[in-house]
Amino acid sequence: MHAALSVIVFTVLSGAGLGAFAIVAADDLCRAFIARIDPSLPWTVAGSVALVLVVAGLCASTLHLANPKNAWRSATRFRTSWLSREAVFALLFVGVAIAYLALRWTGVGGVPRAVVALLSLLLAWTVIHCTAMIYASLKPIRAWHTPRVPLNYLLLAHASGVVVLVAVLRIQGTGSTTLRAIAIALVVAAALAKWDYRRYLAGDTARVTLEAALGVAQGVRPAGAPATVAARLLDVGHSRGTFLTREFGVTPTPRNRAVALWAMALGTYAIPLAWLASGVRSPAMAVGACIVMLAGLFAERWLFFVEARHTVRLYHGEHRV
Amino acid sequence: MKLGLVIDLDTCVGCHACATACKEWNGASAISGPLTDDSPYGADPTGVWFNRVRHYEVGEYPGCKTINFPMSCLHCEDAACVSVCPTGASYKREDGIVLVDQDRCMGCNLCAWACPYGARELDPASGTMKKCTLCVDRIYDTALPVEEREPACVLACPTHARHFGDFEDPQSKVSKLTAERQGFGLLGELDYKPVNRYLPPRVPPVTAPAPAPEAASAGPLSRLIARARLALAG
Amino acid sequence: MKTPTESRKLPMPNDAQKRIEYSTCYMCACRCGIKVTFEGANLRFIQGNRDHPVNRGVLCAKGSSGIMKQLSPAKLSKPLKRREGTARGDGIFDEIEWDEALAIVEKRLRTIRDTDPRKLAFFTGRDQMQALTGLWAQQFGTPNWAAHGGFCSVNMAAAGLYTIGYSFWEFGAVDWDRTRYFVLWGVAEDHSSNPIKIGLDKLKRRGAKFVSINPVRTGYSAIADEWVPVRPGTDGLLALSLVHVLLADGAIDYEFLARYTNAPWLVICDPGAPDDGLFARDHESRPLVHDDGAQALTGAVTFGTRVALFGSYTLPDGRTAKTSLTLAAERYLDDAYAPENVAPQCGVDAATIRKLAREMADVAFNETITLPIEWTDAWGNVHPTVTGRPVSMYAMRGIAAHSNGFHTCRALHFIQMLLGALDGPGNFRARAPYPKPIPPKQLPASASVHPRTPLAGSPLGFPMRPEDLAIDADGNPLRIDKAFSWQAPLAAHGMMHMLIANAVAGDPYPIDTLMLFMANMAWNSSMNTTGTREMLRAKDEKGEYRIPFIIVADAFRSEMVAFADLVLPDTTYLERHDAISLLDRPISEADTISDAIRHPLMPLDRDVRPFQDVLVELASRLAFSAFVNPDGTRRYRDYCDFIVRYEKAPGIGFLAGWRGADGKSALVGAPNPRQWDAYIANQSFFEFHLPPALQYYRYANRRYLEFARTAGFITDIEPIVMQLWSEPLQKFRLAGLQQYPGPKPRDAADQARLATYFDPLPFWYPPLADGEVDANAYTLHAITQRPMMMYHSWDSQNAWLRQIVADNHLYMNVQTAAQAGLADEDWIWVESHHAKLRCRLRTMEGCEPNTVWTWNAIAKQPGAWALAADAPEATTAFLLNHLIDEHLPGGAAKFSNSDPVTGQAAWFDLRVRVRKCAADETGVWPQVAALPEQVVPQRLRWGAA
Repeated sequence: MHAALSVIVFTVLSGAGLGAFAIVAADDLCRAFIARIDPSLPWTVAGSVALVLVVAGLCASTLHLANPKNAWRSATRFRTSWLSREAVFALLFVGVAIAYLALRWTGVGGVPRAVVALLSLLLAWTVIHCTAMIYASLKPIRAWHTPRVPLNYLLLAHASGVVVLVAVLRIQGTGSTTLRAIAIALVVAAALAKWDYRRYLAGDTARVTLEAALGVAQGVRPAGAPATVAARLLDVGHSRGTFLTREFGVTPTPRNRAVALWAMALGTYAIPLAWLASGVRSPAMAVGACIVMLAGLFAERWLFFVEARHTVRLYHGEHRV
Repeated sequence: MKLGLVIDLDTCVGCHACATACKEWNGASAISGPLTDDSPYGADPTGVWFNRVRHYEVGEYPGCKTINFPMSCLHCEDAACVSVCPTGASYKREDGIVLVDQDRCMGCNLCAWACPYGARELDPASGTMKKCTLCVDRIYDTALPVEEREPACVLACPTHARHFGDFEDPQSKVSKLTAERQGFGLLGELDYKPVNRYLPPRVPPVTAPAPAPEAASAGPLSRLIARARLALAG
Repeated sequence: MKTPTESRKLPMPNDAQKRIEYSTCYMCACRCGIKVTFEGANLRFIQGNRDHPVNRGVLCAKGSSGIMKQLSPAKLSKPLKRREGTARGDGIFDEIEWDEALAIVEKRLRTIRDTDPRKLAFFTGRDQMQALTGLWAQQFGTPNWAAHGGFCSVNMAAAGLYTIGYSFWEFGAVDWDRTRYFVLWGVAEDHSSNPIKIGLDKLKRRGAKFVSINPVRTGYSAIADEWVPVRPGTDGLLALSLVHVLLADGAIDYEFLARYTNAPWLVICDPGAPDDGLFARDHESRPLVHDDGAQALTGAVTFGTRVALFGSYTLPDGRTAKTSLTLAAERYLDDAYAPENVAPQCGVDAATIRKLAREMADVAFNETITLPIEWTDAWGNVHPTVTGRPVSMYAMRGIAAHSNGFHTCRALHFIQMLLGALDGPGNFRARAPYPKPIPPKQLPASASVHPRTPLAGSPLGFPMRPEDLAIDADGNPLRIDKAFSWQAPLAAHGMMHMLIANAVAGDPYPIDTLMLFMANMAWNSSMNTTGTREMLRAKDEKGEYRIPFIIVADAFRSEMVAFADLVLPDTTYLERHDAISLLDRPISEADTISDAIRHPLMPLDRDVRPFQDVLVELASRLAFSAFVNPDGTRRYRDYCDFIVRYEKAPGIGFLAGWRGADGKSALVGAPNPRQWDAYIANQSFFEFHLPPALQYYRYANRRYLEFARTAGFITDIEPIVMQLWSEPLQKFRLAGLQQYPGPKPRDAADQARLATYFDPLPFWYPPLADGEVDANAYTLHAITQRPMMMYHSWDSQNAWLRQIVADNHLYMNVQTAAQAGLADEDWIWVESHHAKLRCRLRTMEGCEPNTVWTWNAIAKQPGAWALAADAPEATTAFLLNHLIDEHLPGGAAKFSNSDPVTGQAAWFDLRVRVRKCAADETGVWPQVAALPEQVVPQRLRWGAA
């Protein structure tokens, strides 16, 4: 699939922001039930940074629209469209998140803040899920049409979010061993989920072939030939590109794919894990870790798009997707 | 109503008449025209088409078959392109036709991703998604003679490999053809319930191998002469 | 879960400004009827005309894209004169006014006409007005006129016209409604495309069998029930092997052969005699047959005569004579044509050959059709029914474009004659004004060249004997293309592909002015393209161009336009009048006699003029006798006036419909001043339905023959007897053998060619080049096909069509490629004995293993046709033409790379080898310098309100 930069930026930044915010809100709720609410400033800053990431991502997302003047309509099909739902819940989240941060900044606590924290947590999770479901609901794309995708989005959002949180705390000169432990657990969990996803990608389940796409078994074959006979593209019907080849015909070169896989493995998982495990407190290293993780996520998201092979590629000559 | 097309793979010779007639009609149609063409005389000619013909081979030489394969929107009964559309631009009519409302589309591409057949194309000039309209502005246009109230592709097809009608009517041409020739929908396993039907190539007539003539002692020329005499004698 | 539905208001078409017009398409030689919708001044929609006899409402991709043709920025807009000091071919022009352009042409032509009319060579390409241009050339007095048939498909026309009285190509049509077995030979697209498409669908619905004999499985062959991958150039071998099987099985129509062909005619067998191989004739010059009833030789044959089909008889003078059929049977029953022996060479196995022959025979003789139609034969007998042997065939370029194409096509007609499958129900049938005598009674009038004097007849014709050739007393060719010389005696359509080479070499003589209409000789219509382009620019020792002056008339900026000294811009098909005439290339179907017109549907928006009007204007200024009144005043106002009032014979004009002063006569009648209006009121076409009694066996159908004489198609009502043994060919052979009592070739090479190739019976020989080219080095046959959405060079300026095809690859069989270590998209060198080129490869299954092929004419010179210099047509497409030499390899004599009988250009005789390029050898080669680029839109939004 064509990997639109604006969409990569959107999902990575918003994902990290939503994950981070969810953890801030969750942490707040936990404290609310365990002890008196303590308006911890670094957390509020972290939550604000998270919201900035979310809003930045949402703004980026409008850049991928070819006709943005109709974007205001995007909430219309809430009933059936994950993109509509994402739009609605994203807006709701931003509103609730602002309210929550306002409560924190102004030092308000108690039940109101707990309720708003719960709401923003649920909304954050919902937005992440909706974003993932935009892709996972698409049957023509095997690489996306699996519950592994929303799982990966959720885990990566939280893994990247928690790394941002740890980094923000470090930059503010503080930290939390609990948070660090949670972060390590999340990054490991995300890595395991990714490993499982890549096994699924390379596997043989739910594949569609060119022969199936053409209807070879339904009789589209030479008379007398068995239904298992092979098909191939002779001519795609146009000499240069089309919207379809540009949007769906992207195939990464082996070299680019290898580079991206390494960048993803190191950037998204290995290096952040090392940094977390090391416990190093340097703010500069924290910023570095965030940048490395974001770069790794960009590579991960890029791969997510370019390794996704839509069934329309079959009609353009691919043998199996 | 369940309007759609039947495409006969037994007679499609891959001439692209359907593709160009469609482009011509819809280019100046108020529904979604114009259909932009970029680099029309340049290095990278590309444009918006609703119907494309691709060509495949099945089997191996010399027993291979060439299949010419036109594809346009199949106006699915369970149209994912409609359900994923956030703005409500993509919608399905009561007569079955799936359309894109050009005033509402924001060009997010999601419907194109949802369509397994590549039936939708983004017009870079309008920023909106466009697709086969089943020539809705022809089939209901009472100013046209009745026999011309059909999609442009159906009218143009020189081998009459395209048929238009209501699949909900068991007596319609499209229903009967589908039943007679085992018409099938594409990628049925994805469960979009495509309405258009493709007719697989007919099984060629079986010719009984002609028996070899009886062996004779006389040479072929003599036999020929004898038969000629016989044939012309009577 | 079903998607919920809803309704929303939709904009419907605004009919307020709608205008409907009817005319004729122009994208290929099909001439389909079109219905054109305008919205206000704008073209809105072009579709097929439902009522038109050719296409009945359908329209192909080219016709459906007519709007983009009309809107192409490649249209010429003003007369152009090559700028002083610039070189021919650089494409640098100054715009001039029509007055000046016409004055230049008039002056030059007048000088030529006053001194030596031969110095004008006027050749036309893809036009459809040869009756007018031929008349014009005849009136000018130059023999140097032809259209493009010599490099296109004259083999089909000539073989048919010298054998059955009509032909594949344009003078016949398949009876799609009744045929039960159809064999298509060597057709990818081509005439007459939409009728064939409509017809194939009918066949399939009726369960009739469709066999396609073709090295490539695309297009029509894709839907064939049986695909027979034949090796290019060997179709004749396959056809004659089918003949062998039919004869061996005795599965032939004896009665048909006896009544309708010259099978029983007695051929003199007297080797060495001047009339050896000619027909024995009686004192009234009628061919002799043996009447088995009377047991005597006679020339008086009627329908009921019991003629002997076989036998050897003694003539009154004591010599031996055999029937034509005996001689044919002796030849084709020989083992040389047995399926086992031809299989290795043609690539079709023996079992398939036998099966095809037996299937055909089975259908012909066991699925006979009987129609309850009463008809009268040429001898006056009334028959209550019409019988049909429903086997049919069609053939075109894959047969024609070889140096053995004439004989191969005759071999196909042999199959039809043996099966009795001609112009009956279910057969390949004639299209009016055919059938005509074999051959049509028209001789090339090239000898009578005098200043200011029309030729005695048409520059083209059908020689029947050496005296009819266009040669001088020394045997030298009289025409610039050497058509109708010893090198190409039956060159019925001329030899346009030799024009430039001969003119530049001054062989047989130099010319002064070359006038080309719609012919892209500087590119895809020539062999040896780069060589031809250099020839157009060639200069003599004095620094003058060897072809002093080139006039090009065209509607679009083609590669040839760049080589003009003067450009006369033509209109498009929607902007002018045309007559698609029975005198020209008819659009009749089997049962209807039709012609059609074009008329201007929209006003001209630039300073161009219809070329026909220009021709009429020049003819009037030069005072051609047919174009001036007896008092010397101008006779015709313009082309329209000419079409209405010109009569070829009393009552016979260019358009057959609505003749007579009252407009009520069909086919024959006085000029009707309102004839154009009548056509326009009738959707631009005229259709005359033949009554059933006149529809079948027309070559021997008395009522049809009488009708045809009245309509001016033929001049007498003698039955047209089909020719198995061809006497005209034998006469030329005798001349080659130095036995003929008349003109004979003096050159030993010419003698050998006539002696070998003017065999009165079809035979198969390997393509001529094979003898000179090392077949072990160049193992692959290289051919082209026309794609269905592009017609020669004429569609790359179309913004829609070029999205479908803007470049081309060389296609090769998958296994052949694998064995050569080649893969898809590899850059390859393709080499012939003459030249090499570089292009990309694609593999496919449906390709005969010894064949490579590509789409014809896709490549363009950078900048031509208003395309960008970096368009795919200029950077990744390639022309196979570069590899083809217009002369045969080897030998001292420069023979053209053509069929030795008709001069047909042997495009598909090409032999090549292919090898992979080195890693740094990419990009198409050879490349040609760019023409000045035009400013064109980068984005089109056609149809915007």
